[in-house]
Amino acid sequence: MKFLSCLLMVCFSSSTLAALDVDLSGNIEGQVRHTNNNPEAQDDLFQDWEEENFYLLYGNLNGKIEKDNSRIEANWFLRYSQSKLYDPTPTLFGERDPYFVTTIFTFPSQLVARDMFKLQYKRQDGDHQTESILNKFYYEHDFDKYRIMLGRMYVNYGLGEIFNPVNPFNQPTGLTSISQVAQGNDGASVTYFLSDVHTIQFLLLGDKSINDYEGKIDSTVWAHGEYQYSDKLQLDYVLGEDQNRYKFGSQVSYRLDEAMVFSQLLYRSETSGNKPSHNLWDVLLGYDQQLTNKWHIRFEGGYQKQNRYLALNNFGERFLPTEYFAALANVYEFHPLFKASGTIINDLKSGFTYFIAKGTYDLGNSMEAELFGFTPVSKGDDTDNVAQKLVTTDVGLALRAFF
Amino acid sequence: MFKNILRKDFVLCVALGANVNNADEWLKYAEKEMRGDRSSAEMVMTIQTPNWTRTLEIESDVEGKKQALSTIKAPAKEKGIRTLRIENNMWNYFPKLKRKVAVSSSMLLASWMGSDFTNDDILKASSMAEDYSHKFTKDEQVGGETYKVIENIAKTNSKVMWPKILTYASKKDCLPRIYRYYDKEGKLRRTLTFSDIKTFDGHKIPTHWEMIPEDDKSKKTVIDYKSIKFNTRFKPNHFSQKNLTGK
Repeated sequence: MKFLSCLLMVCFSSSTLAALDVDLSGNIEGQVRHTNNNPEAQDDLFQDWEEENFYLLYGNLNGKIEKDNSRIEANWFLRYSQSKLYDPTPTLFGERDPYFVTTIFTFPSQLVARDMFKLQYKRQDGDHQTESILNKFYYEHDFDKYRIMLGRMYVNYGLGEIFNPVNPFNQPTGLTSISQVAQGNDGASVTYFLSDVHTIQFLLLGDKSINDYEGKIDSTVWAHGEYQYSDKLQLDYVLGEDQNRYKFGSQVSYRLDEAMVFSQLLYRSETSGNKPSHNLWDVLLGYDQQLTNKWHIRFEGGYQKQNRYLALNNFGERFLPTEYFAALANVYEFHPLFKASGTIINDLKSGFTYFIAKGTYDLGNSMEAELFGFTPVSKGDDTDNVAQKLVTTDVGLALRAFF
Repeated sequence: MFKNILRKDFVLCVALGANVNNADEWLKYAEKEMRGDRSSAEMVMTIQTPNWTRTLEIESDVEGKKQALSTIKAPAKEKGIRTLRIENNMWNYFPKLKRKVAVSSSMLLASWMGSDFTNDDILKASSMAEDYSHKFTKDEQVGGETYKVIENIAKTNSKVMWPKILTYASKKDCLPRIYRYYDKEGKLRRTLTFSDIKTFDGHKIPTHWEMIPEDDKSKKTVIDYKSIKFNTRFKPNHFSQKNLTGK
């Protein structure tokens, strides 16, 4: 924090203030959601509620100061959520934690993926929760062939909208009802623009959150390269150490005449240290096509390894409890002001199927309304996968404004 | 021959630098006049239907035929979104999320920001001279003015959305006034009209554009140029991914 303040003073002395390019923007969104619980979650997982309402208000305030090749950018994220689901009826053994579904409704619950500086406040009182997070705050400077960034930054790459394993620094939100949300990452970045077709970004990040901000920093050393081999073929590669695992992988995207196909593969080694673990593979295959000027489809399918017995606690990291999944998303523009989308996602192994529908209406004046619904379509036959039982049936309305 | 030489449109267009008997030359002249080698423009795009109107303010930089960078300045929802074109590649950049998205060929059909212009219009707008073969057809009268009509047929190897486009060019200044776009079945799908010719830095350009889709003539997208500077000196890496993602 002090470091960034000093940078601000050095880079933007009073004599140059007049030449600064300053920009302030943001958005605010309110949501109301009615949710019905899965009976299996009530019986088997102590989620003893049938139906409830959930209210959410969140917003971003984004500020940027720029001069020549330097800029400082920050984003302040605020979220207030209220529901009786935060305040379960106490048992004979005392108070209880909020029901698991509150974590799903506020996904991503962690707005900072690699967290050293904290810079966040979270409090729950009774039936409501308040969060205030500075999830972006960095200094950036462009040199001739490279760019440096210091501070808390978004790291946003990869073609996967439902599953994007090559980028562990920002959770895809394609299946959620939120918008304009990204995760911050603390550390430094150096991007080399080697040529018009080849760029490499080096990241040195740190995470203390898993140690409650005490003790050692779990470090991340990461490289992400983009190489455009031809007009049709682009190769991305990633390698490094992150969260005590060595990881490497790639993304290949190929543009057909009327569509795009892409794939991702990520290998994660066993964790370093004494904890028992396994190496893991994540795989994604994707297909994207604009069928007509109004109708867009996307298919994503793949495999993501999960420790399913920890899945109850994993909603903060991954949205849907599926391992072998296939998803088909359709977006249709019925009118320039109204578009609707329907996404169906299936766990190929268990048969669990989930459906998401959204209708978004442009209200004008940078405002829009969205009606959304989420529901399991078929129950999975995998009794071990307890997280699937937590998926609820919801219908909700969101109002968004941008400024 | 003498009849041709004495034709008014021949005299005017030769004076302006175009060869009246060669449709290719005519289009090249118009393109050079309207685009220049480098230009930087401020424009307002308005999407209109009987019940509502939506307006985008855009800055657009162009160098040569294959490099372009546009930035949306308003409204707040889209402010800052940038589109970069280099050769046949195109990217959108969403600065608030620091997200760069390659516009795949499958997306070329998609509407650009909800307008009646497509990504392909943005990407391929300058390829008319290269991707199509051109010939004059019979002159036509539209709205009391007689136009030279150029038939543009897509070349066999070119990958374009519209197999046939008719250009209606004014005999007064050789500049196009109407483009009509036809699909594979030969059906007219949309019409682009130009008007309000103004001169900027010695270049005559139409400053009012209207795109009307044939399947719903009650709506249209209008582009109004507020200013254009020609021969703008851009920084060496202005049309680069570094610059795209650096703002």
